Amino acid sequence: MQIDIINALIPGLIVGILFGLALQRGRFCMYSAFRDPLMLKEYKLLWAVFLAILIEMVGFAIMHYFGIIALNPKPLVWGAQILGGFIFGIGMGFAGGCASGTTYRVGEGMMGSLVALIGLTIGAYLAKFGVLAAWVAQLQTDTRINFPDDTALTLGGEYNWMLMLGIGVIGLVLMFWKFVLPAMKTETISIGEIFKKGWPWWMTGIVIGFIGMIAFVSSAAAGRNYPLGITAGWLGILNFFVTGGTTTIGWLSWMVIGIVIGAFIFSFYAGEWKIRIPKDPKKIVLQFIGGLMMGTGAVMAMGCNIGNILSGWPQLSVGSIVTGVFIILGAWVITYILFMRDE
Amino acid sequence: MVDVTETLDVKGEVCPYPDVKSKRKVKKMNSGEILKIIVDYPLSAERIPETMKKLGHEVLSYEKTGDSEWEIIIKIK
Repeated sequence: MQIDIINALIPGLIVGILFGLALQRGRFCMYSAFRDPLMLKEYKLLWAVFLAILIEMVGFAIMHYFGIIALNPKPLVWGAQILGGFIFGIGMGFAGGCASGTTYRVGEGMMGSLVALIGLTIGAYLAKFGVLAAWVAQLQTDTRINFPDDTALTLGGEYNWMLMLGIGVIGLVLMFWKFVLPAMKTETISIGEIFKKGWPWWMTGIVIGFIGMIAFVSSAAAGRNYPLGITAGWLGILNFFVTGGTTTIGWLSWMVIGIVIGAFIFSFYAGEWKIRIPKDPKKIVLQFIGGLMMGTGAVMAMGCNIGNILSGWPQLSVGSIVTGVFIILGAWVITYILFMRDE
Repeated sequence: MVDVTETLDVKGEVCPYPDVKSKRKVKKMNSGEILKIIVDYPLSAERIPETMKKLGHEVLSYEKTGDSEWEIIIKIK
């Protein structure tokens, strides 16, 4: 058993605790972000997601130019990403949260989310190493489209970092002008309230954008050249135990553990930590099934909402964009079926 | 203290159930009636009063009653 304490354990935990703080204080759940505009005509979390993505887009481009990181967009495997993204989106509805939302809520003491997380880990295992693995790998191979030089398909190709910088800067200017600056006037928070109250959406978006940048550098130093993710982190922990400790627990696994620790510390400090159990037993079963779907979908699509949307969209990966679109479609379909049909 | 007509307890539920159940509940109630919502999920505790105001109902009180537990009292329009 070998664990890299200096490069993986300590920095992974630190980034995770920071991410847990932002997720918990910002109530940053992408299922809410994508669902609320449809259901409640509420856009704040969605703007927070876009703000974080745009900040990362500019940050990653600049860091790539100066050689601090090397961009590493996910490839396009369209069949697996359409199917996996859609399954993941439906799963979020049953599980009551995305991969990151489910993870931080475990730290808040929500037992339903713990059940969903166990489902997610098992679902990911089945798709990566278990009964579905051969089929999933085949689908990914059969529907893979790369650039002719065999690099991952991005919107900008060899000029990708320049396109990222352009879209990112224009997007940020528009976003600040239309939404962020007006919101900074009406939705404020004092220094003393940062650890006590829910954050305004613009603060959540900015903080998560910068955590994404720190994560890329920190994760690459541990030998995993990619920004934030969730599913593969939990999968790595399960795999460590399944293989009897012959695999390692890497940076991403420490990071997801850090999220739970961070969400626990900061929810406890704010008086928001409590063991909570869904009253309806059916809901626990549904959350487990939702978790299984999310885990399986995430492995098929080569990443969950964090790996593909928060970390993949800033790199303009075509595969991540396809996955993200189908995650959102899946979320809308299940939201309609569960909550809107009978209204 | 106001006379509460009905109480909705959505403890233990994650988003969007508390929000959706509150919305469905107020739809079934009559004008002038008072609904007490007990919620223990932070995002919904912040959202429900906003949603209720958007729907035109009056938020009579909003109180944190314990560790991650809130009571919201709504007057139906």
